[in-house]
Amino acid sequence: MAHQMAVESEHVTADVIEATEFPDLARRYRVRGVPKIVVNDSVEFVGALPETDYVAYLKSAVSRNGDDSGAEEQES
Amino acid sequence: MGMIPERDSQTIREHFSENMTGDVEIIMFTERPSLIIVPGRETCETCEDTRKLLEEVSALSEKVRLTVHELVAAREQAGDLGIDRVPAFVLKGAAKGSVRFFGMPSGYEFSAFIGDLVDASNGETDLSDDTRAFLGTLTEDLHIKVFTTPS
Repeated sequence: MAHQMAVESEHVTADVIEATEFPDLARRYRVRGVPKIVVNDSVEFVGALPETDYVAYLKSAVSRNGDDSGAEEQES
Repeated sequence: MGMIPERDSQTIREHFSENMTGDVEIIMFTERPSLIIVPGRETCETCEDTRKLLEEVSALSEKVRLTVHELVAAREQAGDLGIDRVPAFVLKGAAKGSVRFFGMPSGYEFSAFIGDLVDASNGETDLSDDTRAFLGTLTEDLHIKVFTTPS
């Protein structure tokens, strides 16, 4: 679904990352289950969610960006 | 024997033919297999298989073109596309944003990759109107990372 969003919006960059091939990234983002989705390094969730729930997480990342403009990257 | 079973190849060929409208370029970054073992340096175990898979997929439609770069020789272009590791590739076509893969798209991800190629060809998806409306309101960038495994 992330790639579909990148197809539809110039504001979206979507990476599908094979966790076992890049264990350093899997460790950095604490991947213990898949699919794990991380948005703007600030919002994350695990599992294949329905589209409306998926978008709700994206909206929370957008609002968080607005709240934390200029702030350091957050651990979640 | 190829990476993609012949029966699947035929199915994908027909799927591409029936559903793709525009050209798509797969820009892949890889590293050449080294004949020298350098202690402490990790070799790319999936680069060759990923390249073979992408070659087979790109051969299934004249609308799909594959370009392969050595990462060490194309650092600037890779950097422009946000690629800093291998194997990785980007889909260029009618996609408005950036569609990237890090690692080999096998298992479930293979069928998702085939769907992504069609979407990138057409510049549209089957996302809902509500989701499209949300994406239309974006004024800042969203970077979504999706971690998967091969199964």
